[in-house]
Amino acid sequence: MSADPAARPDAARAERAAAMRAGMRAVAPTLIATSTWGLVTGVAMVKSGLTESMALAMTLLVYAGSAQLTSLPLIAIGAPLWLVFAAGSVVNLRFVIFGAALHPFFRHLSWPRRLALGYFTTDMSFVLFMPRYQEAAVKGTPEQLGFFVGAAAPGWVVWQSSSILGIFLGAMVPASWSLDFAAVLAVLAITVPLANSRPMVTAILVAAGAAWVSQPLPLRMGLAVAVICGVASGMWAERRQRGRA
Amino acid sequence: MTAGLWPSEIYVYGAIALLTLCSVLTRAGFLLFGDHIPLPDGLRRALRYAPAAALAAIVVPDLLPWRPGEGPVFDLRLLAGLAGIGVFLYTRSAMLVILAGMLVLWGLRWVFG
Repeated sequence: MSADPAARPDAARAERAAAMRAGMRAVAPTLIATSTWGLVTGVAMVKSGLTESMALAMTLLVYAGSAQLTSLPLIAIGAPLWLVFAAGSVVNLRFVIFGAALHPFFRHLSWPRRLALGYFTTDMSFVLFMPRYQEAAVKGTPEQLGFFVGAAAPGWVVWQSSSILGIFLGAMVPASWSLDFAAVLAVLAITVPLANSRPMVTAILVAAGAAWVSQPLPLRMGLAVAVICGVASGMWAERRQRGRA
Repeated sequence: MTAGLWPSEIYVYGAIALLTLCSVLTRAGFLLFGDHIPLPDGLRRALRYAPAAALAAIVVPDLLPWRPGEGPVFDLRLLAGLAGIGVFLYTRSAMLVILAGMLVLWGLRWVFG
């Protein structure tokens, strides 16, 4: 190993570039799913009544498929903005957990870089990054940063281009095709794999039941009721399971 | 749904701005302020259930609608949604869920009018 300090920035850059390519290779097979998703979200935005410029602003700024799909039915009925914000935050809560796990790797960076890394975090970049580096003795190496950026950046490009394609296709498809239902199916496809433990199944079923009976509540307030019931029942089921084990 | 239902453009752009803030806060919040945010283990575990509960709650009114004055009503979308869940459990493919669910909905609409 060279002790010459002048050689080190180059070595770090090469290490980062190699890791970035590894991240891109790792994320490549998932990009087909990302593009389908982006397409469905793009179509859903215009089908729920957003104009093309509203939909473009939403995809480019919000960049969060499940929060977008969640907020669309609320926006369509003119629900209060605080509820739109609260619903989007709840669906995005997983990113808070991702952020807590990623923090030790990126805490040494400047705040604009941490802001950018956080904003461009995708489910996939996290899922690929953590198993690879969570046991790393040294956290915050150029290799780790490179891999993360390589796994996250292609997702942004593919998501935005397919979403924009969906926005313009969606405007051409007649309403009688009920393509808005594709968004409901997309949310189902995100929800079902989350049901991977008994407490999680309990939380989902209780939330669904609470959402069903609380539909007469105004302004989709049933959503808030359902989340509270779901979290409480999930915690209860978890405690019961642990008590028995 | 017609464009006339939209209260105003300001409302929609306000929603987009708030959702952008929500993206930034949830995704970058911990990376920015992580040194100052305590996240107790109990809270961390509770947070795991919230997204699944919210996602389930958001699809229920589409699958099992409840009309004002009429109470619960049956919609063919429920059968298409259940078909989609079945396809997911069998294939683990989100794309096939969307494809199968749409085909079932169109088929049922064609059969039952």
